Amino acid sequence: MMRETTAIGDGGPASTPEAVDIALLLPARAENVAIVRHALGALGEVLEVDAQTLSDIRLAVTEACTNVVVHAYPDGSEGPLEVLATLNGEELTVVVRDEGEGITPRPDSPGLGLGLPLIASLAEKVQLGHDARKRTEVRMTFSLAAMAA
Amino acid sequence: MTGPASLRLAKGPLAGPVLCRVVSMVLARADCPVDRLDDALLACEEITTHGLGYVADGHLSVTLRTDKDQLELRVGELAERGAEGMLAAAVVPGLGNVLERVTDEQRVEPARSGGPEELVLAISF
Repeated sequence: MMRETTAIGDGGPASTPEAVDIALLLPARAENVAIVRHALGALGEVLEVDAQTLSDIRLAVTEACTNVVVHAYPDGSEGPLEVLATLNGEELTVVVRDEGEGITPRPDSPGLGLGLPLIASLAEKVQLGHDARKRTEVRMTFSLAAMAA
Repeated sequence: MTGPASLRLAKGPLAGPVLCRVVSMVLARADCPVDRLDDALLACEEITTHGLGYVADGHLSVTLRTDKDQLELRVGELAERGAEGMLAAAVVPGLGNVLERVTDEQRVEPARSGGPEELVLAISF
């Protein structure tokens, strides 16, 4: 399967307005990542999504949310974690957004640095950028039909 | 109080299951007894079943806050008299009003976000 990862600038395609089906706004704390993951399980309740596809979506979104918790607010301040999900036919787009420092190299990173490559390997398409309000976005597109086939 | 967690839900099949799952996680973390958790899920099903018929802009917003022994659900972006309509729609013949039976408090407040008013539901546990 072709995977696509794109880094885009401020106000680029990642900030395109859209009709969002679900928007979830939480404080960016580790315990709230589990809420996001559990909420995404609803996809399996109402759509014909196979277990592997659902697992891949949950893992990719969990990774993006964990990145926000670990990296977006490094000085100990608390900020928002926003997750938007949009269904368009057999395509699911999930945007994970924060108001932190953005995606930049961090020599003192506490993680292994596998987050974005892992997301890129699980999603059909990944876009990194900022919305019109300069909030950092990771936009992941999953092709439900292609992944289920 | 902890939180808040806020959801904005469009009409569609995901609205009910997503709200129920988020409320379940928030209440589990608050050590809510399972019978009251079930009551809260009934309330959530009523909110998503009927609430979207009374919204101001096509979306239902729900803000959750928990205290040590209470969950507050703030259902927003309701049209004028939408809260009253939502409560009336929750009446089941022979059973009564589901929202009034499973929640401890129902009050209508001016909207803090969009729409003219919000329905605030409190569930003690």
